[in-house]
Amino acid sequence: MSQAVLQVENLTKRYGEVVAVNGVSFEVMRGEIFGILGPNGAGKTTTLEMIETLRPIDAGRVVLDGIDVTAHPQRVKKIIGVQLQASSFFDKLRLTELLSLFGELYGRRVGPLQLLDEVELREKAQAFVNELSGGQKQRFSIAAALVNDPVILFLDEPTTGLDPQARRHLWGVIKRIRSEGKTIVLTTHYMEEAEELCDRVAIMDKGKIIANAPPQTLIQQLLLNGFRKERVERLANLEDVFLSLTGHSLREE
Amino acid sequence: MRLKWMLFVASLKMMFRQKEAILWSFIFPLFMIFLFSFVDFGGINKLPIGLVNASSDTTLVDALHKTGAFRLHVGSADQELVALMDGDRILVIEIPQDFHPHRNDSLILYANAGKPQEVQLAQLLLQRVLDELTFSAIPALPRTHIITRQVESRNLSYIDYLLPGLLSMSIMQSGVFGVAFGFVSLKKRGILRRLLVTPMNPNDFIVASVGSRLVLLSLQVVLMVGAGIVFFDLHFVGSLWEMLLLGLLGGVIFLSIGFALSGISKSEDQVAPLANVITLPMVLLSGVFFSRSALPRFAHLITDFFPLTYLVDGMRKIAIDGASMTQLGTEVIGLLVWGAVSIFLAVKAFRWE
Repeated sequence: MSQAVLQVENLTKRYGEVVAVNGVSFEVMRGEIFGILGPNGAGKTTTLEMIETLRPIDAGRVVLDGIDVTAHPQRVKKIIGVQLQASSFFDKLRLTELLSLFGELYGRRVGPLQLLDEVELREKAQAFVNELSGGQKQRFSIAAALVNDPVILFLDEPTTGLDPQARRHLWGVIKRIRSEGKTIVLTTHYMEEAEELCDRVAIMDKGKIIANAPPQTLIQQLLLNGFRKERVERLANLEDVFLSLTGHSLREE
Repeated sequence: MRLKWMLFVASLKMMFRQKEAILWSFIFPLFMIFLFSFVDFGGINKLPIGLVNASSDTTLVDALHKTGAFRLHVGSADQELVALMDGDRILVIEIPQDFHPHRNDSLILYANAGKPQEVQLAQLLLQRVLDELTFSAIPALPRTHIITRQVESRNLSYIDYLLPGLLSMSIMQSGVFGVAFGFVSLKKRGILRRLLVTPMNPNDFIVASVGSRLVLLSLQVVLMVGAGIVFFDLHFVGSLWEMLLLGLLGGVIFLSIGFALSGISKSEDQVAPLANVITLPMVLLSGVFFSRSALPRFAHLITDFFPLTYLVDGMRKIAIDGASMTQLGTEVIGLLVWGAVSIFLAVKAFRWE
């Protein structure tokens, strides 16, 4: 296996009596898509925000591309790309203006149109963010996370609230970015999304990681333990029906 | 430096693209001036006098009318006495049936006991009118004549008084409300957090926001003084530069208050009442619309120290008296002290998250 680009050791966050993140450890390899799964309130977002320098680390250590996050937050900020959960952008700037401005924040002069191509938004170049659909907003926010050509891209629930077409479209965008050599860490609570995208997943619950392996390995382990679904003969589900009826094309323009 | 400039340009764009907000910050004060330009405060200063004229002679009534000092109401004795008791008259003059000004007759006056000063003034004027009528009937008597020559003088109108006040008020309003609402919204919508994961120095963003707000403020000063001169016949004798400078000094205070408020509020719903509690007393009591001399003594003492009072007084001295910044001792010192205090509060209270 290739080398780890992110090492998280014993990461802990407390809010008073509540331990939101309780001694979490994992590694992310260069070039993979790593998923953090878990129900709401499991500590996924808090874990990401500590790695992203947004929250102080109470205990434990995060090393990102050889840099200790606690010791050098500023150096870490320069090499990560972040899509925050439900994050928003200035209303009154056009997409190209926003991308140029974000580039400037990293001291870079970026090509806004190339970045928009990356997420298939070129035709919206002169639009304002509040004129975009939900899926377009998420794609734009990925473009904004790419302005500094980051070593790792963090996506916090990128497809929450999107319709099936927009979700699948975003999966395509994420896969393409990975194919260009980026490492991606994402959180989700959609299992089919994790199965579709992630090379490895960590499952979190109540602040702890309770499983960490490639999706297929986890499924095999479950089956080896004697688990059987009641009806394995199901060849299609309602989402398949929905997509076959409404088509795969996006409904946002 | 390049980044600061880019942020400044971006926040200017964002601000001026909020067309409605910008438009209002210019139109509202002008609209107020427009409204107040219709109010004839000269009419209020005339002394209301009731006349009950039983005689057929109108010499006295005409003479009183010519002074221009009275608002005359002619009516029956009953009507006028009721009006006097309601406080709507200073004096009621009863002219007897066979009255002649130069014949040693008597007039009966009913005076409003609650307004001794006005009564005194009205009586003096009345006496003078009567003397004039008496003397003019006896041409032989040698008298000193008064020769009046009209001199063009700087008669200040209410607009001259009001405009510097409204200008100061709109600097306060757009500073406090603009920043407080703007930053609470950026915070609530996660835009500030998104900026915090970039290597940007947060202070650069603050500096850029303050810079763009100060540009707006300067435009407010120039446009309002300009509109005052062009549309409202403003007697502006001061320097526009001095007004800009003082406006910027005041602006820093109100922007800082805006930052402090955005720091202690989580949503727009929380900002609104706080911003109103801070600005409304100043709008009403800092002498924006009316002189503070009408305030009770203790209120006068307290409002002396309001930041808006210093700004309004300073603006007025520049606009009306042509004072320069160096001549504005109290006002400039007051604003500087408030500047230091409000910046300190803003730094303490402002939160990025």
